[in-house]
Amino acid sequence: MNLYRLLLLAFPRDVRHEFGGDMEAMFAAQLRNAPASGISRTQLWCLAIADAVVHGFGERLGRARRAATVISSMRRWRWWMHAITQDLRYASRLFRADRSTTAIAVLTLALGIGANTAIFSAVDAVLLRPLPYHNPDELVMVWEKRPAEGVLDNVVAAADFVDWEKMNTVFASMAAVSGLTADLTEGGDPVRVPTAAVSPAFFEVLRVQPALGRSFMPEEGVVGRHRVMVLGHELWRDRFGSEGNIVGRTIGLSGIPHEVVGVLPETFRFPDPSIEMWAPSDGAIQVWVPVPFEGLPRPLSRASHEYLVYARMKPGIDLAAARADMDRVGARLAEAYPETNRTHGAWVSPLADEVREPVRSGLWLLLGAVGFVLLIACVNVANLLLARAASRRREFAVRAAVGASRSRIAGQMITESMLLGALGGAGGLLLAYWGIRVARQVAGANMPILGLDAIGLDLRVLAFTGAVSLLTALLFGTLPAWTLAGQDVNEALGGSSRTAVGVRRRLRVALVVSEIALAALLLVGAGLTWRSLHALLHAEPGVSVKGVLTSYITLPNSRYRGDEKLLSAFDQIEQRFAAIPGVRIVGATTLLPIGGGDSRRGVGIEGREPDPDTPTRAHPRSVTPGYFSAIGAHLKAGRAFTAADRADALLVVIVNETMARRYWPNESPVGRRIRLSGPTAEWREVVGVIRDVRHWGLDRPVNPEMYFPLQQMPSSALTFVVSTDGDPAALAPAVREQLRAVDPALPLSDVRTMEQVVTESVTARAAAMRVLAIFGVMALALAAAGIYGVMTQIVALRRGEIGVRMALGARPADVMRLILREGALQAVIGLALGLAAGALLMRGFRTMLYGVSPADPVTLTAVGALLLATALLACFVPARRAMRVDPVATLRQ
Amino acid sequence: MKPTPSSDPAPPLKPLVFQILLSLADGERHGWALVREVQRREEFSRIMPGNFYRTLRTMLADGLIEEAGRAQGREEDERRRYFKLTALGRKTAGVEAHRLQAAVNEARSKRLLVRSRG
Repeated sequence: MNLYRLLLLAFPRDVRHEFGGDMEAMFAAQLRNAPASGISRTQLWCLAIADAVVHGFGERLGRARRAATVISSMRRWRWWMHAITQDLRYASRLFRADRSTTAIAVLTLALGIGANTAIFSAVDAVLLRPLPYHNPDELVMVWEKRPAEGVLDNVVAAADFVDWEKMNTVFASMAAVSGLTADLTEGGDPVRVPTAAVSPAFFEVLRVQPALGRSFMPEEGVVGRHRVMVLGHELWRDRFGSEGNIVGRTIGLSGIPHEVVGVLPETFRFPDPSIEMWAPSDGAIQVWVPVPFEGLPRPLSRASHEYLVYARMKPGIDLAAARADMDRVGARLAEAYPETNRTHGAWVSPLADEVREPVRSGLWLLLGAVGFVLLIACVNVANLLLARAASRRREFAVRAAVGASRSRIAGQMITESMLLGALGGAGGLLLAYWGIRVARQVAGANMPILGLDAIGLDLRVLAFTGAVSLLTALLFGTLPAWTLAGQDVNEALGGSSRTAVGVRRRLRVALVVSEIALAALLLVGAGLTWRSLHALLHAEPGVSVKGVLTSYITLPNSRYRGDEKLLSAFDQIEQRFAAIPGVRIVGATTLLPIGGGDSRRGVGIEGREPDPDTPTRAHPRSVTPGYFSAIGAHLKAGRAFTAADRADALLVVIVNETMARRYWPNESPVGRRIRLSGPTAEWREVVGVIRDVRHWGLDRPVNPEMYFPLQQMPSSALTFVVSTDGDPAALAPAVREQLRAVDPALPLSDVRTMEQVVTESVTARAAAMRVLAIFGVMALALAAAGIYGVMTQIVALRRGEIGVRMALGARPADVMRLILREGALQAVIGLALGLAAGALLMRGFRTMLYGVSPADPVTLTAVGALLLATALLACFVPARRAMRVDPVATLRQ
Repeated sequence: MKPTPSSDPAPPLKPLVFQILLSLADGERHGWALVREVQRREEFSRIMPGNFYRTLRTMLADGLIEEAGRAQGREEDERRRYFKLTALGRKTAGVEAHRLQAAVNEARSKRLLVRSRG
């Protein structure tokens, strides 16, 4: 009977367990009955054996086939998990044993990954994430286009906007926006607040729901109904203490009562922060008022261009359809109003592009640069691991000899790299967290870029960091894994092998060369940006920057009605400022140089037939007689304004050089006459030519400009310019005090020295330069560490050779030269590659450069010298170690 | 060989499967009794334990038969397990019987089958 049990072993265990007894009993009965049923016991046993084989193993085989996929993949998975846990445990032991190498590697990676995370978070927030509005893809800006002049983005005239709104068939809603400033006296000291005048549909276009109250209603675009306002969240919080009952209150805005109808949510951001350029004042727009296009006493202007136009496309309308429709509208308007619109059309552009275009190339440049930093970090860590791999050759050879497969050994190296990468990634996140906080404070305040204040570590950024860490680990881990796994076991166990060491040394030298090349590339980028900034700051603005204090003053319409009142108030202010001790001369202008843009006006030039295809235009400014001397603008011809250029005297104008060149080529404009376009405009005589002044920014071209005496062209808003021989900033308190003496309710905003104005105009560029410089220094330090490591190892490897040389009579200085030459050679090869690549790459970022060529010899030379010096310095310590080699000791070895 | 409830026409059952279904048609049986009953048929007289119990297991797995609960008073041998038809098993047996009957009818109509007299 026991024999049959043996046969039962052919069946799977559970079958045996379940039916074994039954089968046994059955077979026993069969044996008992065998003689009766005419079959011999032997035959029965044979049948039983066949039965067991066919059905026992058959059952096993069938099951195995059925479950093959599930079971085997489960097993493989478990095997892998086991191997990985083992590797991880081993790796962490190894890291603990070799703390310094591990620390350096992790720190290097953390720097690289952290910088990448920080920059990516900015790229993500500003460029990649959808704009913070409902269905942002539907949002566009509509500009006036003037194809003949190559202009696609001119601001829009009110009458054109109103017609566009009526005639288009593609937009769900459209809104016109212009910036201004208004004085707020309620709720504290008088302040000037940046204000946007918007057509009532504005908040509907952006689909913004106010946090309190409502937004504007269509009828509030009609004169008489338009004295309402919406407050920004910040102003409501800071000035009105987040009062819940603010809605319905009437607040004076520049002396005119406005009813507050709503408060915007805290998260709302105006799409185009550059609108602040129009209203020289700090901070984001805080007050919103409707601009009335209906019920005005005069028809809307088609000639005065002043509005930004935002629109939301109807669902299902794409950009091409919107453009086609607006082309149709533009053509009809050109037909209907040939005088003003003959050469004009409408241009539709996605809002996202408009917002992002100015910062796109800069951010990509930074991301590219920081990517190179990470590459250098990778090279460094790869080098470190290679160095360690050299000392672990025997260990791996032993493992291979006792049966570890190549893939198993490589797998362990990869696991170690992954662990390093994960540690580096974690450290990088910490660094990035800190870096982003600093960046947000610095950038948020100075750079009005939509989305910049949304920078932060979120899931997307974390995912990026994780991916980068993984990629990094693969990048720096593959090389050592490959060299180690591929080594010859016999050779490694047999002792030192010159060839293997030689191959690995060449590899490490190649790594150092590439590292230097990358560092050179980065430094070229940083250097060129720095040179651009330098060139920009030393660009001739046309005015003196030192010793000038500026302050912007507007007189509210409500209390200073009429030109006479305005002029006498400004005169009084000017006299009081002039009386401040230390003040040399005082002047005032409607537009401060460098600070921002303005719009132009059509002019008629005496003796020149107006040609509608090439209209004559210039940018107007009104100035006081003292202005040119106060700001340090130079007169090239004719005379400056004097106190005698009063409203009742001969109407005069001073033009800039660009205007003189363009409209009176090859002759002097002095004595010629111009007039502003319009039916009633009077002729004005050109009495002088002033040197070009950069009004739109240091890197922007100069437009034709014309200056009027303030007396003959009054304005309610002026920027006063006070020049002094001393420190201009020290005059600020006195300026405030004197203004208060004239009118205590006058807000004084924007008291800045001219130097500040210049610095602020280059904030974004300076920030980019600084970040690039930081990356450059990081690259330099990493490259230096790389060279140091490799040279140290080379010296160690060449000890014997050096000993022999010294024994044969080489002096220590010769040895030093030998080592330094080797280091210098690596540096020079790397430099040549890096400088060439840098100059080539920067061609793609020409817009970031100003006044320097991508192949700027000064930059290239300086970077070359810096890197070479760093490389030699890094070689110096190993070289000294080589000098101290004791020939006797080495020879004895 | 796996019968499915709705597969109609069902594939022919293995003779042993049909025989087990027939044996269980008039009530539950324990394994050993089942074996005896099956072995009474001449063509299954040499049926071996491995084959028989494997078929039984397959039928259990396919849901043609199920284990009957062990009633009190059957303690004479705890290892003995009782089996009975499931609804599916009964239906499958019916389908198979019809199939066979159809075959028999056809054979009869072709005069292959001689009616026995008396």
